[in-house]
Amino acid sequence: MNYFFQKFGRILVIWLPLGWLLLFFMFPLVEMINVSFSEARRAVPPYIPAFQIGSGGFTFSPVLDNYLLIYEYWEDYLWPAINSIRLAFFSTLYCLLFAYPMAWWIARSNKSIQHILLILVLMPFWTSSLLRMYALIGLLNPNGFINDVLIWAGITVTPIQMMQTDFSIYSGMILTYLPLMILPLYASLVRLDVSIIEAAADLGAKKWDIFRTIVLPLSIPGIVAGSLLVFIPAVGEFVIPALLGGPEQLMLGKVIWTEFFRNRDWPVAAAIAIILIAIIILPIVYARYQDRERIS
Amino acid sequence: MERSNLFLLIGVIAAAVVIFLNFDSSNIKTSQVSEAGGELKIYNWSDYIAEDTISNFEAETGIIVTYDMYDSNEVLEAKMLAGSSGYDLVVPTADFLARGREAGAYQDMDLSRIQNASNQDPEIQAQADRMVGSNSAGLVYMWGSTGIAYNEDMVVERLGDDAPTDSWSLILDPANAAKLEDCGIAILDAPTDVLPNVMTYLGYPGTSMEKSHFEAAGDALSAIRPYLRYINSSQSINDIANGDICAAIMWSGDAFQAAYRAEEAENGHVIDYYIPNEGTNLWFDVMAIPADAKNVDNAYKFVDYMMRADVAAANVNYVWYASGNEAARPDIDPEILSHPGIYPTEKAKEKLFVTPVYDAQTDRIVTRVWNRFSAGN
Amino acid sequence: MAPFIRIQNISKKYGKLLAVDNVSFNLEKGELFSLLGPSGCGKTTLLRILAGFEITTEGYVEIDGQDMVDVDPADRPVNIMFQNYALFPHMSVSNNIGYGLKRASLPDNEIKSRVSELLELVHLNGMGERKPSTLSGGQRQRVALARALARRPKLLLLDEPLAALDKKLRSETQFELCKIQEQLGTTFVVVTHDQEEAMTLSTRIGVMNNGKLVQVGTPNEIYEQPQTTFVADFVGEISFIEVTVKEQKGPYWLMQGAVPIHVSTGAKLRINQKVNLALRPEKISLTSKSTGKINEFPVKVIDWAFYGAGTQYRVVGPGGINLKLYESHNIPSKSNARQPETGFINFSPDSIIILER
Repeated sequence: MNYFFQKFGRILVIWLPLGWLLLFFMFPLVEMINVSFSEARRAVPPYIPAFQIGSGGFTFSPVLDNYLLIYEYWEDYLWPAINSIRLAFFSTLYCLLFAYPMAWWIARSNKSIQHILLILVLMPFWTSSLLRMYALIGLLNPNGFINDVLIWAGITVTPIQMMQTDFSIYSGMILTYLPLMILPLYASLVRLDVSIIEAAADLGAKKWDIFRTIVLPLSIPGIVAGSLLVFIPAVGEFVIPALLGGPEQLMLGKVIWTEFFRNRDWPVAAAIAIILIAIIILPIVYARYQDRERIS
Repeated sequence: MERSNLFLLIGVIAAAVVIFLNFDSSNIKTSQVSEAGGELKIYNWSDYIAEDTISNFEAETGIIVTYDMYDSNEVLEAKMLAGSSGYDLVVPTADFLARGREAGAYQDMDLSRIQNASNQDPEIQAQADRMVGSNSAGLVYMWGSTGIAYNEDMVVERLGDDAPTDSWSLILDPANAAKLEDCGIAILDAPTDVLPNVMTYLGYPGTSMEKSHFEAAGDALSAIRPYLRYINSSQSINDIANGDICAAIMWSGDAFQAAYRAEEAENGHVIDYYIPNEGTNLWFDVMAIPADAKNVDNAYKFVDYMMRADVAAANVNYVWYASGNEAARPDIDPEILSHPGIYPTEKAKEKLFVTPVYDAQTDRIVTRVWNRFSAGN
Repeated sequence: MAPFIRIQNISKKYGKLLAVDNVSFNLEKGELFSLLGPSGCGKTTLLRILAGFEITTEGYVEIDGQDMVDVDPADRPVNIMFQNYALFPHMSVSNNIGYGLKRASLPDNEIKSRVSELLELVHLNGMGERKPSTLSGGQRQRVALARALARRPKLLLLDEPLAALDKKLRSETQFELCKIQEQLGTTFVVVTHDQEEAMTLSTRIGVMNNGKLVQVGTPNEIYEQPQTTFVADFVGEISFIEVTVKEQKGPYWLMQGAVPIHVSTGAKLRINQKVNLALRPEKISLTSKSTGKINEFPVKVIDWAFYGAGTQYRVVGPGGINLKLYESHNIPSKSNARQPETGFINFSPDSIIILER
C-alpha cells in the first residue's frame, strides 16, 4: 500500500508539470504551427486545418502560402519587428538598471523584512495591468497630477508633454515588467555569500571593483533569467505602446493582431507568431548549447 | 523552507495571480437556475443600452438575462468565427455581420415573429440590408457616422473664425494639422472608417475598392502623420473632454459622450461634432442571432422588446446615437433629434455612403495601407 | 621597543549586547596566536575588528606603529582567510590567488610569477587553471591560504582554518600551516573553538569567554596553569574536587573535602578558604593494590574507554567524588585483559591545580 503511494507520488511529481507543459504549452504551439500551414477561408473556423483527423483517417496537406506572403511583403513585417525588438531591448535594459539596485537592497536587507519587500514588489500584479496603465496616464497627462504639481510649484508654466513620448512608453513597460526582473535578480543576489564580498574588500578591492569583478559576474544567471522574462513578453507587447505611445509605434504584436482581427487571416497571424518564436527562441537555444559545449 | 523553494513558491503564486487577474471573467458565468421564462445570453457593445432596459425586460418576461459587453467588432467577430460562443443575441456592425453570415456564423431572423419590426425606419433598414446583402439578417439597433469632434475654443484660437469646421480639411489638410499639432490631433484606429472618408476628401468615391485609391488615402494620411498625437479608438473620448487633444476623427456617439463629459466636468471645454460636407460613411449596428444560439425564442422576444417605441427612445436618450426605430421619434429628446451630427440634415444625407463589404484581398490592401501609415514607413 | 601589534581596550557593542568586552593584548612579529573559546564568545567579532569589517565601540588597534582606526579593510596590511574560504567561484585558482595583486596594480608578469610561487608554496602546482568547484576541500583551503598570503600581509587572520576538513586531513594541514607560517615569518591570528588545534598550532593562546579575554599564555601555561575554572575546564580533560583549606602541614597544605588531600603549592592560601582542586587525567595513577603513597584512596571503576595509545577511566571515590583518569599504554596492552572493577588511585601533591571557587 505504502509502496503504491510512493510510486504514485513519484509519477505525480514527474507527470504533473510535464502534463501541464504538454497541455498549456506544447498543444497550443503545435496547434499554432498547424494553423500557420492552413488555408484561410470564410467559415467557422476561418481556415482549413492542414492536419486533420477525420473519417478518412489522418490527412496532412500543408500550405506554404502564409509564409510565402510574409516573405513577399517582408518589409511590412520587418519594421514592426525592429520596433518591437527595440522596445523590448530598451525595456529590458531599463528594467535591469532599476531592478538591480532594488534587488540588491532587498537581498541585503534584514531577513525578516525581505518577505515583506518581495510582496511589495509583487503587489502591482494584484491589480489589472490595464488599470495600472490608466493610472499612469492620469499621472502623465498634460492635465495630470505631475503637471499640476509642477505648475503649482512654479517649475513650469505650460504643461510638459509626457504622454505619447518614449518616456511614457518606457514608464509603462517598466511599471509592468519590473517585478519579473527583480525576482530572479533577487534570487541570485541573495545566494551571494557576504564573505565573498568581504574577501574581495579584504584583498584591496574598492566598491566599484567589487561590483565589477565579483557581484556582477556572479549575478549573471539572474540577469539572464530576468532579461528573458522581460524581453520575451515585451517583444509581443503592443497594448502599452498603443495606450501610452504616439503614432509611430507599430509593434509586431499589433501586426499579428491586425492579421488576426482585421484581415481575419488566422493562418498568416499564426505564421508570423511562429517566425517570431523562432527568432526569439533559437538564439537562446543556441546560447545554451554553446554554454554546454564550453563546460564540457 | 529553503530560500530557493520559497522563491519558487512566490513565483508560482505570482503567476497564478497574474493568470487569474488576466482571465476574462465574462467567460465564467455560473449557470443560473432557469425559471419559467428561461434564459438569454446577450453580447453587446459597452455603454450601449439604457441602465434599466435589461432589468425591465427581465421583470416583464421572467427571462433571466446574462449581459456581457465588448468594445470592438473584432473581438466579437473572433468569438463568432471560433464558434460555440454561447450567446443568443449579438450586435455586430453591418459589414462584420455580412462577413459573419458568409462564414455561416449567423442565422436568419424571421421578421414575422417580431411584431414591433414595423416600427423600424424602412430607409435605414434598407441601407443596412443592402450592406449585409440580406433582408433577414437582423434589425438595426443604432446607426451613426464618422466625423470630426473638436474643441471650439482651441481650434478657433489656432485657425481663426473661418476654421473649416464643416470639412475633413480641418484635420486632413496638412496646413491646418500643423497649426493644431500643439493642442493635439487624434485619429481612430479603424481603417475601414477612416480610409473611405479620406478618399471622399480626395475626390474619390468612398465606396471604391481600387487599390490605388486606398494608397492615395494612405499617402494623404502620411502627410499629416507628423502632426498626430496618436492613432487610437478608445482614448480620444477622455482626452478631448479634458482638453488634452483638440480635434479628432471620431464616431458620432463617442463624440457626444465626450461633449457630455466635458459639460459634466464643467472644465470650460466645449466639444462639438460635425459630419463633414464632403460626406462620410454610415455604419449600422444590427441585432443578430448567432447560428448556434440556444435560446432563439427568447432572443426574438428581446428583439421585439427592443423595437418597442418607448424602449428604443429611452435607449437613444441614454446613449445619444441615432436609432433605427422610426416610431420612437416622438419620445426622443428634441436636442438629439435636431442635432445634425446625430440625425443628419436632408442635404447632408445626400453625401452619406455605405462602405461595401470588402473581400479578403481588399481587407489585406486596407490593412497594409493602414499599417504603413501608422508605422510611418 | 613597541610591540608589533597592539590591541588596546577593544569593546564592541551590538545594541545592548557586549560582544567584545575591553580586550587588550600585544603580538610580537612572527607569532602564531590563537583565539580560543566556545562559539559566541566574541572571538570572531574580534577577528573581524582586526580585519576592519567591524568598527569598534571603544579602543584601538595598532599594527607596526600605524593606527588602524580609520583604515579601510582594503587598505589594511591585514588579510583574512574565511572559515568557508570564500573563494570566488567564477574565477580560476590562479585568478583567485592573483586577485589581491591585481587590485594592487602589479604588472602582469609579476603577478604571474608571484602566483606560481604561491601555488608552489601550497603544493598546488599545475592546478592554476582549475575552478574552485573542481577542487577537494583540502585543496580549496590551500587556495584560500595562498590568496590571503598573496599581498604579503603583516598580519594574517584565519577564521577556523581547519574546521571544514575531515579529521585526518586536519592534522596534516595543521602541520603544513605551521611550516608555512615559520617559513614566511608572517604573524598569524587563528580563531578556533578546538582546544587541541590551538595547542598544536600556537606559540600563544588567548582564551575568550563572554567577550572577555580570560587568559593569555603559551599552550603549556594554559594547560598546566589555568587561572580560572573556565579555562581549566575548556582546555583539555579535567576533574574537580571541592575542598576547604584546613592547615599547613610540613611542606603540604592539607585540604579537607570528601577525603583529605595533600597539596604542594606556592600559592597563598587562607585557613578555611574554599577552593577547587583540579586534576588532569594523566596525573592520576590507578593501581589494583594499595601502594601506600600520599593522596591515595580506593575507587570503583564505573566506565572505561580504549583509545589505542591509552585507556581512559571514570572512577568514583569516597564521598562520591568523580574523577577522570588516563592510563598510557607504555607496555603493549593485553588484548583481552579484564578491566579492574575496583582499585586505588594516587596523585602527586604538586600535580594539583588550585582554583578559586
